[in-house]
Amino acid sequence: MILLENLHKTFKAKGGPVHAVKGVGFEARDGEITGLLGPNGAGKTTTLRMLYTLMSPDQGRIQVDGIDVAKDPAAVRRRLGVLPDARGIYKRLTARENVAYFGRLHGLDDATISARIDRMAEALNMHDFLDRRTEGFSQGQRTKTAIARALVHDPRNVILDEPTNGLDVMTTRGLRGFLRELRAEGRCVIFSSHIMQEVAALCDRIVVIAHGEVRAIGTPDQLREQTGLADLEDVFVRLADLGAEA
Amino acid sequence: MKTVWTVARKELVDLFRDRRTMLISLLMGPVLVPVLMLGIGTMIESRMRTQMESTLQLPVIGAEHAPNLIAFLETYNIETQPGPEDPDATVRGQEADVILRISPEFGEQWRESRPARVELIHDSSRQDSQIPVSRLVSVLSEYSGTLGALRGISRGVSPEAAYAVQVARRDVATPESRRAMALLFLPYFLTFFSFLGGAHLAMDATAGERERQSLEPLLATPARRAAIMGGKILGACIFGVISLVLMLLAFKLSLGFAPGAMRMINVSTPVMAMLLVVLLPMVLIGTTLLTLISATVKSMKEAQGYMTVLMLLPMVPSLMLMVNPVRNALWQFAVPFLAQNQMIMKLVRGEVVSAAEWTVYMTAGLGAGLLLWAVASRMYLREKLAVSA
Repeated sequence: MILLENLHKTFKAKGGPVHAVKGVGFEARDGEITGLLGPNGAGKTTTLRMLYTLMSPDQGRIQVDGIDVAKDPAAVRRRLGVLPDARGIYKRLTARENVAYFGRLHGLDDATISARIDRMAEALNMHDFLDRRTEGFSQGQRTKTAIARALVHDPRNVILDEPTNGLDVMTTRGLRGFLRELRAEGRCVIFSSHIMQEVAALCDRIVVIAHGEVRAIGTPDQLREQTGLADLEDVFVRLADLGAEA
Repeated sequence: MKTVWTVARKELVDLFRDRRTMLISLLMGPVLVPVLMLGIGTMIESRMRTQMESTLQLPVIGAEHAPNLIAFLETYNIETQPGPEDPDATVRGQEADVILRISPEFGEQWRESRPARVELIHDSSRQDSQIPVSRLVSVLSEYSGTLGALRGISRGVSPEAAYAVQVARRDVATPESRRAMALLFLPYFLTFFSFLGGAHLAMDATAGERERQSLEPLLATPARRAAIMGGKILGACIFGVISLVLMLLAFKLSLGFAPGAMRMINVSTPVMAMLLVVLLPMVLIGTTLLTLISATVKSMKEAQGYMTVLMLLPMVPSLMLMVNPVRNALWQFAVPFLAQNQMIMKLVRGEVVSAAEWTVYMTAGLGAGLLLWAVASRMYLREKLAVSA
């Protein structure tokens, strides 16, 4: 269970301060997939970075399973599995070693790590490249390794920043299946994307973000109703106010 | 603590799997530097020997004015040749090291027992001509002294009366300290290698990792940032020490085959072990400084930009001491780079390092390392670090 309230974040930039996030707030429930939908530069990644404690908000509050991020960031990080926007993996280590390294940093023992890797490899279909060095991996293999690494400690809350970027159809389908499994296990999943269909295919609730603000929250049907449009892409364009920019 | 070790081990595994980079940074130095030093040493040695022992070819202008002097020179293995028209230009053009000019009045002055005049034309800024010039000067003064004494005797004056003061030299250089003259480079090489031996790893582990976008997920784990940084520094230090040990071994082995003076350098195992201890603070200073720099820069390229300056740093004391030699003082053992220079010189010259000097040295060295560590830790906590562009 994740709760974000009225988050603000400003960056200093050459042309003056950039107000990247202006009052973002929403709730992500356990056993649901919450989609964070917004165009590039809408503030999704910044919002998520504040959530996984890499940045501190200028204003606002974040709670993960009732723990305040500002008060105990380490405890929060332990409860989160994060696939960040930056998902570099170590190319001279094998996929297994990449995952095991993070397992150790989470303080897990070797037996637990090995059992977790087996389960993740099963779920993500990683067996044929698990013990290869990651140099030369395809985008899909790299993403799977990064996801396995993010979830090695069996977290209750899962945050994925644009996980399907650059993946082919079959890998995307496999990934969707995997996320549904996570939901079925009662986890709280947040997943950001700039593609409406992607979010609609998977998410129980959608949070539309544009220009650092939340524009709408609801199920895909609720959003259709709200805008009176049938096509999901039109709904997105209307809600994110993209038409004016085009 | 466990995190520190986990991170350090991963960094080392990562590096050692990159065979080529590892071999270059680990073996290049230990192979090339002794070769370089031995090469230079051999060159100096053989040059000195040939210049001292070979026949000195001496262009002489006006040889006909002083046939006896010429004959005397030839008994000292100096062969005269007819001098050139423009001696200044010949010496400047480096065609001759030194030219002797005997003035036409030489014979007349000689007969009248006045000081007869000869002129040496040489270029004192040329290192190369020092030995021929001093050879010639000493032969000439011997000639002058011998004949002056004979003149005195023929007039009933004791030759000793001509010497109001007798200068005797006593050189207190120990054999080791004289050898160490040939080793002005040694402190530079050793300091340099301990300072920057772990540089690649230190830069790569922070700036490189950030550039490859793996720092953000790493910092999103519950592991404390200070511990992650500690692991990276530890890994780089371990690597730095390995490369340093190889370097010292290379010196120990190669100096055994060194020609002449260099063979006398003290490369006994206790001295080598002490050198290693002396250089440990430098390893720490180097890796923490580079980690600090890497945590503040935007890219690996920017971090590498600092390398040029850092490479010069260990050279500063050697250069300063060459131009302006200073006497040993306790404060010098607290100044990074200068302190290493002094300690290494003392050890290879076979001098005793006092307890006070050890204490000041180690305290200052480790203190500087820990201070840099603390500053680097602060840099690691900055929000900007995690977020790669």
